[in-house]
Amino acid sequence: METSLADALIVMGKAIGAGLAMGLGAIGPGMGEGNIGAHAMDAMARQPEMVGTITTRMLLADAVAESTGIYSLLIAFLILLTL
Amino acid sequence: MKKKAKIGMIIFLIIYFTVGIINAIYFVPKDASEVTQGLASRWIIQISDKNAWYTRLNPLTIAMSWAIIIGLVIFAVKVGKNFKLIPDRKQSLTESIFDFMYEIVESVIDDPRFVKPTFMISTTLFIYIAISNVVGGAVPGLNVSLAGGSVKFTLFTDTFFAPTADLNTNLTYALMVFVISHTFAIKAKGFKGWVKSWFEPNPIMFPMNVIGELAKPISHSLRLFGNVGGGAILTFMLSYLVKYLLLPVVFWGFFGLFVGLIQALVFSMLTVAYISAQIS
Repeated sequence: METSLADALIVMGKAIGAGLAMGLGAIGPGMGEGNIGAHAMDAMARQPEMVGTITTRMLLADAVAESTGIYSLLIAFLILLTL
Repeated sequence: MKKKAKIGMIIFLIIYFTVGIINAIYFVPKDASEVTQGLASRWIIQISDKNAWYTRLNPLTIAMSWAIIIGLVIFAVKVGKNFKLIPDRKQSLTESIFDFMYEIVESVIDDPRFVKPTFMISTTLFIYIAISNVVGGAVPGLNVSLAGGSVKFTLFTDTFFAPTADLNTNLTYALMVFVISHTFAIKAKGFKGWVKSWFEPNPIMFPMNVIGELAKPISHSLRLFGNVGGGAILTFMLSYLVKYLLLPVVFWGFFGLFVGLIQALVFSMLTVAYISAQIS
């Protein structure tokens, strides 16, 4: 099967685009969740009796912080699979 | 009681592993392109020839939504009919969920008039979304694939379709929350106060306020859609990479139970937060 140059270029663009979307989109949520985890650990060390509440709130904040990463995951899937 | 649970667990695991091995032997596709073909597309029925948004139907979304709604209604009628002072298991489950949500809502909403309506809205959303995420993420069942333009039904190759993996469902709920929060704002502050709240620090900020309000339902709905839909796609691809043997159970547990329940909680918490931001 022979592939033309245009098809090869389209595939290359898709791969580069999806990789850039996922890689750059993962920076923000990574830093945000790291911050959340670090401060939650601080709070737990200071007040060990509040561990349960802090863990629930930490998971909630994590879920909100990772939403931009989820958007970029969706974009990457859309580029790779449906575009 | 404990022995019964143990036997149930063993039967469940045996069924799970048998289905997994059958899948591994019979249903493994030949190569990766066969898996990814038509993965992100939905089964859509065209009602008439006109190609507009209102002539297309998502049959899986509608069927799963109604199945979950009917199941919840049956459960609610069963629990509500014989409400006792000493609760049985179903009643105490219901009571603990309601108690958990009511405490959070009470601590966030200042105005005592709006505690009960907000509690009803957020708890309804939480229960529905949690059930649909768990059913769509962790329970193996009917799967519809769109390989090569034709619709193919298979049993137990993947989990059920979650209604929340369709953006239409999530956008409906997010817009509903948007309208409800502004209705509450008009009720709480009066029409004049509501109009004034758009020009809050000073009139220059009006466009910012409009954009900020319009961005709320979009991010609200896309967060849930991305988590559930992306989780489903990731599960599907990772299951292919490990040949459907044992690990789908782990993925279903993570993406269905853990992420699904947390996202349901986040959705209802954000509902409460948006309403409280509007009425205060």
